[in-house]
Order: sequence, then C-alpha cells, then structure tokens
Amino acid sequence: MLGLLLARQAGIDDPVRLRRTTSTWRVLSLELNKDRDVERIHGTGINTLDIEPVEGRYMLSGGSDGVIVLHDLENFSGKPTYTCKALGYVGRSHPDVHKFSVETVQWYPHDTGMFTSSSFDKTLKIWDTNVLQPADVFHFEGTVYSHHMSPVATNHCLIAVGTKRPQVQLCDLKSGSCSHTLQGHRQEVLAVSWSTRHEYVLATASADSKVNLWDVRKASGCLSTLDQHNGEKSKASSEAASTAHNGRVNGLCYMNDGLHLLTIGTDDRMRLWNSFTGENTLVNYGKVCNESRKGLKFTVSCGCNQEFAFVPYGSTIAVYTVFTGEQVAVLRGHYSTVNCCVFQPNFQELYSGSKDCNILAWIPALREPVNDYVSEKSLPQQHLNPAYEDAWSSSDEG
Amino acid sequence: MDRRLAELVEELTTSGEPRLEPGRMKELKKICRSSGEHISHAYHLLVTRLNEEHAEVRFSAFQIVQELFARSHQFRTLIISNFQEFLELTVGIDLEQPLPPPKQVAQKLRKAAIKSVQDWHEKYGEAYKQLSLGYHFLKNNKKVDFQDVHARTVAERRREEEKQKRLDNIYKEKAKRAEKEMEEMSQEIADTLTEMENSFCLLMPDPFDFTVNDVELEPSKQISANEDRPASPLSSQMEINQSCFEYMDDEQPCCSKDVLSVSQCVRTDKEQLDEKREKPEQKELDGDTCSKVQSGVPALNDDDYETFVRNHGLISHKYTLDLEISTEVKVHENEDNTAIINNVMDAHKLVRNKFLPSVQSWIQLFTRAGINDDRLRCAIDLKNKLETAMKKYKEMNISFKARKRKVMKALDDDHDDDSEDDDEFVEVPEKEGYEPHIPDHLRKEYGLEPQSPPKTLVGKTSIGPAPTSSGAQLKRDEDELDPTCAAATLKLIRDKLPKLPRLCASESVATEPAALEEPDCRRKKLEEERAKAPFMPFGLDLHYWGQNQPSAGKILKFASEHRFWAPSEVEEEVENKEITEMLKTRYITFAGKFEPVKHKCRAPMPDGSLCERQDRIKCPFHGKIVPRDDSGIPINAEDRAREEKMRFEKQAAQPEWRDPEFMREVEAATGVDLGSSKSHGKEGKKKGKKKKYPNLTDLKQQANTSRSRLEKKVFNKGAVKRVVKAMNRMDQRKHEKFANQFNYALN
Repeated sequence: MLGLLLARQAGIDDPVRLRRTTSTWRVLSLELNKDRDVERIHGTGINTLDIEPVEGRYMLSGGSDGVIVLHDLENFSGKPTYTCKALGYVGRSHPDVHKFSVETVQWYPHDTGMFTSSSFDKTLKIWDTNVLQPADVFHFEGTVYSHHMSPVATNHCLIAVGTKRPQVQLCDLKSGSCSHTLQGHRQEVLAVSWSTRHEYVLATASADSKVNLWDVRKASGCLSTLDQHNGEKSKASSEAASTAHNGRVNGLCYMNDGLHLLTIGTDDRMRLWNSFTGENTLVNYGKVCNESRKGLKFTVSCGCNQEFAFVPYGSTIAVYTVFTGEQVAVLRGHYSTVNCCVFQPNFQELYSGSKDCNILAWIPALREPVNDYVSEKSLPQQHLNPAYEDAWSSSDEG
Repeated sequence: MDRRLAELVEELTTSGEPRLEPGRMKELKKICRSSGEHISHAYHLLVTRLNEEHAEVRFSAFQIVQELFARSHQFRTLIISNFQEFLELTVGIDLEQPLPPPKQVAQKLRKAAIKSVQDWHEKYGEAYKQLSLGYHFLKNNKKVDFQDVHARTVAERRREEEKQKRLDNIYKEKAKRAEKEMEEMSQEIADTLTEMENSFCLLMPDPFDFTVNDVELEPSKQISANEDRPASPLSSQMEINQSCFEYMDDEQPCCSKDVLSVSQCVRTDKEQLDEKREKPEQKELDGDTCSKVQSGVPALNDDDYETFVRNHGLISHKYTLDLEISTEVKVHENEDNTAIINNVMDAHKLVRNKFLPSVQSWIQLFTRAGINDDRLRCAIDLKNKLETAMKKYKEMNISFKARKRKVMKALDDDHDDDSEDDDEFVEVPEKEGYEPHIPDHLRKEYGLEPQSPPKTLVGKTSIGPAPTSSGAQLKRDEDELDPTCAAATLKLIRDKLPKLPRLCASESVATEPAALEEPDCRRKKLEEERAKAPFMPFGLDLHYWGQNQPSAGKILKFASEHRFWAPSEVEEEVENKEITEMLKTRYITFAGKFEPVKHKCRAPMPDGSLCERQDRIKCPFHGKIVPRDDSGIPINAEDRAREEKMRFEKQAAQPEWRDPEFMREVEAATGVDLGSSKSHGKEGKKKGKKKKYPNLTDLKQQANTSRSRLEKKVFNKGAVKRVVKAMNRMDQRKHEKFANQFNYALN
C-alpha cells in the first residue's frame, strides 16, 4: 500500500494501478458491516435492485408486493453508523403502484430524474423520480420478466423487454410505443441485457436454454446464438439448435468493457462468453446453485485488477473471479434465497436483496490498525464495545 | 486436552437429561477458557452434535452453546457466522428440515432457542449484525411471536386455526340441526309437560296453586306474612290455614302465627291491627323461636292478654306447640287414579328417556358452538321445565300397585302384530293354575278326553300301538300346543312335576310286561348291557338286518337284441360280491384314543435350559426324542455318541476362517462388521446388543407401533417374494390354460 502510494507520488506507476489494487483489495474484504444498514420498508422479498450510474448515490429496490423504494446510500453524517434512508417509495397505497411483483427496476442511464420498472402485472412503467408518478405505461400481453435500457446508447432510447411471450419487445421512449419485436426464441424470455460496448447489440436469454445476440438494426434475425459446445457437438447432432445451457437461462450480465458476457442457467452452471465471437470460454465456475424460476440478477465488479462476479447462491452470495472461475468468498447473511445483488463501483460496496425482506449492505472491512497506520485514524474504537468482551465468570476456574 | 473436550461434549450431549451436568460443564468451560483454539474446536464439535437427528442431543448441545455464547466473544462470532444453519437446527425454520423426534424435546428445544435468540438480540444485537438480522428474520418473516409461550410458527398457528374453523363449522351445522329438532320437539315436550302437570293436579292438588276456595290471595303472601288475613272471612281463613299447613312446608313455627291470627280475628280492632302487622315482621326479623315471640306478645299488650287467654279457655300462654308436618307426599295408587298414574308414568318415562337427554345434548351443542341467544335460552328453559316436572314426579312418591303384565298369548305371532286382530281378542286373565275339576260336559271343550281312571289310561298306552290312542295322542299334542286349552295347562303341570317319578313311570311303561315276569337280576343285566351298547347311526346294514337278500349283488345283463350282431356268449347274471357285501358291512373308523404326550424333548439348549417341546417322536429342533438325564445328556451310550458326532460335523461344516474368535479380532481391527455375531448367532445373541447411549430416548423403539410391526411382517422381503411367486404362478396357470385362445394369448 505504502509502496504503491509512493510510486504513485513519484509518478512511476500508471495512476490506474493504485486504484485497481485498492479496489481489488476492498472487494476481497467485503463483509457484512454492522454500521451500515438499509431502512426496512419492504414487507416482502426484494426482487431487484439498481444503483444509478451517474452519482452512484441512489438505489432503487423493487419488492414482490409491487413496492418500489428509493434509497440514499451516501453517508454525510460523518459518523460510521449509517442507515440508508428511504427517500421515497411507491407503496401499496400509491394509486399507480404495480399490482404484482416488481421484477426489474432500472435507472435512466444518463439522469436520475427518471427510472423504469417492470412487473408481473404485464406493465412497464416509466417514472418521474421527483414526483414518483408514472410518466408513461407500456402494456404487454405476458408477464414481464426483465427489461433493460442500453447504458451506452446515444442514438436511441430503446427498452428491451423480455416477457412470457417468446418475442423480445423493444419500446421506444421517444415515441412511447413498441417499435419492434425480435423473434427467435421459443419460450419465455427471462433476461435481456444491452451490450456495454455497442449501443445496438442486445443479448437475450430464454427458458428454451438459448442465448441470442441481436443487432437491433437488423430486422431479419439474431446475430448469433451462443453455443455451449462451440459448434463441435451440434455439428454432429442432427438438431442444429445450439444451446447455451442445459436448462433455462435466467441470468445475463455483460462485463463492464463489453467484451465478455456471463450467463447463468438452471443447470447450475455459469458460463463466460466472448461477446464478439460468441465463443464459450470454458471457464469452470463449478456448481452455481440456481433454482430461480424467474430471472436472476447478478453483477460484476468494476475497476479491479481482476474482475469479480457476485452471484446469488441460495441464501448466500458467491464471489468468483471471472476469468479463472475461482470461488473467492461466500457472503453469508441472508436467511432466505437471495434474488439480486448490485455493485456500487465508487466505494466497492455490494447490496443484495433477498426473499427475507432484507437489503444487506456489504462494505469493505477496514484493515487492522496495527498493521497499517495509514488508516488508523479513521478506525473506530470498536473494541470498546462491551458485547465483544469475554465474560468468563470466576466460578469457571474451579 | 482436545480429546478430553470431545469426550466431554459427547458425554454431555448423550446424557439425555434436560439439564447439563454442572461438573462436566465446568470442566468444559475451563478447557474452553484456556485458549481460542479450544473454543473453535468446541464449536465444531457442538455443530456436529447439533446436526444429529435426535432432539435430545440437539437440546443438550444447544444448552452448551448457550453457556459458551454468554462467555466467549470468539464463540459468538463463530456461532453467528453460521447463524442460518444454527437457526435451522434449533428453531427449525426450514420447512423441509423439521426438528427431529422426540417431539416434546423438540418443542422444548425450539422454545429455548427462540427465547435465547431474543435474549442474545437484546444483549448483543447491535454488535453482531447477523444476530439482529436473524432476530428480525424470525420476527418478520417467520412471524415468530416472541411473547408466545408455545413458540408456534405461522404454519402451526394456521393449521390450528383451520382446525378450529372446521370444528366451528361442524358445530354450527349441528347446532342448526339441533335447532330444527328443537322446534319440532318443543311442541311435543310442552304437551307432555302440560299433561304431566294436569295429572299431578288431579292426583294431588297443588298447595301453591290452591284456588279451591276461590280466595283471591297470593299464596306466597299468605305464607310469608299474615297481613291480609283479616280481610278474609274467618272460617275460610281457618280452612286455608289448615289446608295450607297440611301441604306446605313452612319454615316458621306455625303455632305463633295461628295464635296471633286468631287473636286478631277475635278482636278485629283496627288500631291493634297496625301493631299486629308490625309484629309478624318483627318476628321474622328476630327469628323463628316461638318463645321469644310469645314473650313479646304479653309485653306489648298486657291487658289484652288475659282476656285473650280467658276467651280461648287457655290456662297458660306458654304453650309451645310443635306440629310435625310430614313434608313427604305419598300418593297411593287405587283404582280411581290408575289411569292418571299410568299416564304420568308414561309421560315421565318419555321425559326421562327421550326429552331430557335430547335437551341436554342441544344445550351442549349450543354452548359448544358458542351460540348464546334465544335458542340456548329456550333450550335451558325447556330443561328447567323438564327437570321440575321430574322433581315433582319424584316428590309424588307414587306407590304403585304391582304392575301386571298384560300378556296376550295369541296362537300366531302374526296376530300379535296386527292391531285389527287384537280387537277380536278379549282379554282374559291368565289362568293361574290347574283346574282339577272340569265338568264332564266341558271336557271336550277344554281339549281333554273324557275322564277315565288314570290307570286305564296308562294301561291303554302300555298295551301297544292301539289305533285309537295314536289318534288321540296326536290330537292331544295339538291341544297341548294351544295354550288356551286345559291340555296345555295339564302338560305344564306334568312338566313341572319331579322328573324322577315320570322317568320311572315311562320306564315302567316300556318294560312293564317283561319286568313283571322276570327276576330283578336279569333286568339289571339287561340294563347294563343296554348301557354298554353303542349308539349307531342307521344304515343299509341295519335296514337289511337279519334278512337274506338273494338278489343282492346280482347284475342282470340284457341279451343283445340286435338282429345280426350278438356277443358269443352272454352271462345273463353276474354276481358282484362287493355289492352283496355292501349291504351287510358297516365301516367303523377306529381312530384310537388320544393320549397326551407326557415326555419332553429335554435336549440342552444354548441358554442352559432344557428343551420344553413335547413332541411325540421327533423334536423339530433336536431330532429324535431319547431319554435324557437331568442335565440333558442322553442316557443311552449310543445316543450320546451320535450327538457328539453331530456336533463335530457341524463345527467342521463351518469354514475355518469363520472361526468366531478370529472374526471378532478382525472386526475389531478393521472396524467393519463381518457378521461374526450373526453367523454364530447363538453366542452373539446372548450378550445382547449394547446400546451406545443408554440415556437417550431410543427413536427406533418409539416407532414400535402395531402399524410398524405389521409393516415389518407385510413388507418383509420374504413375504413379498412369496406373494409375487404365488401371483406369478397364478398367472402362469392361467396362461397355460388359455394360451391357445386369442383373448388370453397375449397376456
């Protein structure tokens, strides 16, 4: 640490290096922190979380009773103990609340004044954040599993919507209507995700165990279908359909550079794909327990030396290194199935929502003050807490 | 020290006690205190114990956890790091992983765990994030009510609620039915009650409802106070009083009242009246001792007193008059009130057997269904009414005449049933006894033969099968069946007469001719022989007894009547010996007599006793039964030698490597059960399986229900195999039988 700082000061190192090393270290030391709490608003399980990319300060959470809550993550109080307050929420009494479970919430990528939410009540709503009123509502014929807006798009503002229907719908915010549908899946579309590098590239995952990559400008069909065997087996077999997983594919996540794509399926596997060639990189993550019938929201870290994937694993969250497939850590804290997790890149914090109604904040643990006196001053005197003291009674001696 | 720790944990958790043993616990704590390593070791040991599928083990382990949790920070961190699993194992939050049996202990464990989670949360909640999360999880998601003593989960509560609801519905349904029933029945009950009431009135006038004298007095007033008395005429009043006291049970001694009222009447002084009015009240307040009241009388009006005494011809006023009024009412049945009493009795029976139980059941139903309105009140009302009626009936003390049973003997039972036919019969008092003198001209009517001296009658029957007597006998039999005939009565008496003389008589009837001539000894001999002679069923041999049947056993062959073809020689008659024999022979099976076996096998058994089996020739376990001495060794030398040889052979048959000693050693070394105890079961069984933890409740034993035993029998591998075999055989047979038919060929 000191060496890195010194090198940074002397200008020997690339400035990125210190940042990367520190953030890697911080990600690896993520733990449940007693000082950080998220206000408990939801009465039912949390299905989805999203942190806005502009400031990284506000977080949305959608519950399975249709409630959407807006949290403020930033701690300006100057004290270590902080509860992320709910700035506002769309409660059950709100006239425009989703009737059924909210499956996905997403901020508008360029501004915090707007966010979108989709629900099992077959609607997608565009909300005005400041008044918490819906600005527009899209209706669909099937329940909506997932929707996504491109984080990098500058020329379009399309929302890709995966519903119970096999067609992927594209809703245009400019015109307020569904501009087109993408046909290619046979069963419901459980996850959609825009590429983080190309604004027109979309990946969709479906229950027919296929993952398709699309260029939305091309009307005829998908760019490619990911094949878990990289074409070796499917050539031999009579059926030409190439599958990404052996079960339903219910999770999709682009790496931040957009070069790779992670998918997860109910065959308890996670796969890493090269998003240009559509090639299976054959990284072995081992068994990734996944029993979700709906879409699963997992996330990857950002700005580390080697990137990490945070994947809900039953009632825990497993942390994998993306490119080696090694399971680095298991975060225990939830008492029921974890549905979603989201990474806050600025402070390397992780937030996870679970069926047990909790949103847990995973904060990097601070180093021991003995080893590192750089951070000593900022350390709270936590050992003063009487709860940490041993209480052996004198009678135990005899 | 590690090993000691493991031992301690095992001993503590397998004790099966509801409390931890303090000595061992102290030692454990001491070890844990010594270093952090020991704490983590203890934690792992405890977690493995918690994973055990036995509630008692878990409970003990949980108690140790509780002890250590309060003491060590490191232990707390360890427990809380895996708090989900801990809750699963102790509270049973996972539906698919319920707490193991026994149930009571599991319940206790859950209660204790929930309570301690709450305590921990209060004490350490802010310091240990996951602990408070767990607490909130239990509180919000699992809806554990921490105040609820029973620590029931939501599912349990819901189940209970549903059960309650179902019960409620059932009760409501029942209550509705009862209501309907009540509606239907209440009219009937009311009728019966009025009937009873009226009958009571008729049997005995109600003292409280005494309106015979048409005095418009409130009866209760009359009893409690005497204020209104002067208003009524004297004579009637006296009557009332008398009649009243005849019936009613008054608490107050009546003498004083009587005296007072009389004095009032005599004087009829309005001024005095007021005073007198006060007096009874006072008297009531003071109590009911006569003397006191009476002493009060002269004190009040001394001058009146003498005149009063004189007027009444009383010598002294200091009488104490004790009237004993028997409160018991007794109603005697006589021919005047028979009908009423019958009526009352019927009504009473109806009330007792039908109405009261049903009313009670209604009330029970209503209360159980939680109905608290008119229906219940109505039912209670009815019950009260019925009960008062019952009480009154009891108070009546009706002494019944002995009830005669009206027996109607009809010839046919059918007639009994038909009510129309009943009318034709006139009830006749049953004939009680034998009517010795029947006029001759009536004898025929009575179904008797004309009277003749009894001895001739006997003689007649003894003479032989006289045609007249047989006819008469027949008729008499018929007559005897007819209960209205005198013959029946006669027969009854005859039956009743001591059997012995009759027997003698009949015997004498049978043997008289012979017995008279022959000497006594011969008769006796005959009788003896007769007693010895066996009874045989009637057969062909008896039928043809002593007869010669020339044609028996002969088979006649008809000559061929064919025109051209004829057998060369025809034996017209063939005698079949067997058929001839058949008519004369009788097969008597001689099975011999059963003799119970007296000897026992007495072969020595492995447990030292002797075989108790009592087979006739051969014991299924020990072979031929031979005489043995007290220790079970055969007496004969050759038997002994044979047995010795057998044992030798048996041992030789067992392969050498299965030598039990050797096997046991191998087992001890490898830890694999090679079945040494099984193969040589006799020795292994003797030791018995030592239970590993004798203090724990045996879960397998608890499952020893009739069902499980039956299951063991029915689903036994051998039994299943047998059944399958039998069914296969059946199928096979069918197949063989019908294989040629198209229908069956395929299956």
